[in-house]
Amino acid sequence: MQLGSGLIIGSVYALVALGLNIIWSITDIPDFAQGSFYVIAAYAGYFAVTLAGVPFPVALLLGMCVGAIMAFSCERFLYRRWRERTFRAAARVQLLVAIALFFLFANAANAIWTSKAKIFPAYMKGSLLGLSYMRINVFLAAIVLFILVYLFIMKTKPGKAIRAASMDVGMAQVLGINIDTVNSIVFAMGGALSGAAAVLVSPLYSVFPTMGDLPLLKALVVVILGGFGSVSGVLICGLGLGVAEAFGATYISSAYQHGFAFFVLILTLLLRPKGLFGRV
Amino acid sequence: MLSSKLSANRIALAITFILLLVIPHIASSYIVYVVILAILFSMLSASYDLLTGYAGPLSFCHAAFYGLGAYTSALLTLKTGMSFWLALPISGMSVFLFGAVIGYPALKLRGHYFAVTTFFFGHFMYLVFLNTRELTGGPLGLGGIQPPESIFGIDFSGMTANYYLILIFGILMVGFLYALVNSGFGRLIVSIRENEDLAEAVGVNTAFFKVLAFSISAGLAGITGSLFAHFFRLLHPSTFSWMTSEMIVVMVLVGGAGTLVGPIIGAGVVTFILEMMRFAPELRFVIWAILLIAILVIEPRGLAGIYARIRGGK
Repeated sequence: MQLGSGLIIGSVYALVALGLNIIWSITDIPDFAQGSFYVIAAYAGYFAVTLAGVPFPVALLLGMCVGAIMAFSCERFLYRRWRERTFRAAARVQLLVAIALFFLFANAANAIWTSKAKIFPAYMKGSLLGLSYMRINVFLAAIVLFILVYLFIMKTKPGKAIRAASMDVGMAQVLGINIDTVNSIVFAMGGALSGAAAVLVSPLYSVFPTMGDLPLLKALVVVILGGFGSVSGVLICGLGLGVAEAFGATYISSAYQHGFAFFVLILTLLLRPKGLFGRV
Repeated sequence: MLSSKLSANRIALAITFILLLVIPHIASSYIVYVVILAILFSMLSASYDLLTGYAGPLSFCHAAFYGLGAYTSALLTLKTGMSFWLALPISGMSVFLFGAVIGYPALKLRGHYFAVTTFFFGHFMYLVFLNTRELTGGPLGLGGIQPPESIFGIDFSGMTANYYLILIFGILMVGFLYALVNSGFGRLIVSIRENEDLAEAVGVNTAFFKVLAFSISAGLAGITGSLFAHFFRLLHPSTFSWMTSEMIVVMVLVGGAGTLVGPIIGAGVVTFILEMMRFAPELRFVIWAILLIAILVIEPRGLAGIYARIRGGK
């Protein structure tokens, strides 16, 4: 039971972390704003289902599109301004903007839709081995998305450009890779993954403005644990963290459930400063 | 040209100083309250600047040390009946030591690894404040904290006396930090910021000085927390959540990291903007975030850059 629910919440961490990881390893931006794209995508999915009455898979796609468009626009119109690093603190400006965007969208959601949690209607009944199908779907969808991202990065031409850019942006540009396009792709991809995670998990809990805080925090840890640029590392660490939290909450203390990640992080970094699956 | 700039700065400083001195006598108690908040945040920003502006590492847990100082001081006075005047230095010292314990392992990490670790440490401390109900009262908050005992016949139960107390501590702290960053220690930590490997190669014990800068910065935040606890007299975990840490980061970076005066101005400006928007509590952070992004789009170096433009334009 703990294993099951751990794997499910872990899939959410892993999905958000995967987008963060790719963005972070290429653009050097810890994109906090992903936590708020997550929130907006969840609301988009919620309204699509409750107001427009679309089937769940369509709401999922819509959430992914919303996340992708938001992340893409933020990169295109904001982060890109400071990419050339013409002054010393440019990296910190990008970080500030990421924090500001996170505040902006999370608080806008709060102002528009109030802090009251909205119940996302269940789209499927029944359960298997004590886990409802909706829960199992989160896990399965995460695996499918991971395989898609993996294939995209390893087997396609844009994927190759992304891998090149994550190794050395300057060298990739010298070799004729358009770094603007690469950035647009990775941000859109990150937004889509956050959006997918949000809509997938919404029917299990509910939709509220601060729902993105914890997934964002945990995803940041997963990125560090998994090591930059490692797709499988992110998956394993995300699931691992989810399971560790579920067991910790049952057997150690549920009040500190969200604090375990801190100890896992400190221990891991002291033993392996480059993360568990770090390349370098 | 240079001398005229210097004298203009001095005049601005003198005007600010005189204003700060007379504010309790000319302004409403609400304004005085906001100025006290601004001074407290200036102290937090200035102490944070020692670490992030001068030594380099970007940390996200300053509010945790602030809260630790506040709770330590409040609990010492509440549970042991200790005087505030003793609890203040003790909480400062204990947060300093605690900072060293956390900083020693954490500062072995560099860059983003360090940043995320501190982020999580901050969140962990928030959970501790929230969950140790028997000590901190958890989500109900910790009330009943007494104002500082009267000393030299000054009674600290009112706003004005507290204002001057916090102002004096603020000036002392900024003076201390100013002396510190202009000392040999200050030059050492700047050398670490500029090129850590080179600093180490020429014989600077970079690990030691980074941990020292981290602990001093933490200890000063602890002292600020103690002042806050006995001024506000009610502590709630959410005051010390990661939102506050991020707010301090924003104040320092917007004001101009590594200048000491920039973060102080940043803290003042951000505090006042947030207070001015009390009329629309729901939209407060939305407007604030838009303003912040707008400032950065217009002038990426923040307020320091805008100031330089105005000076340069003359």
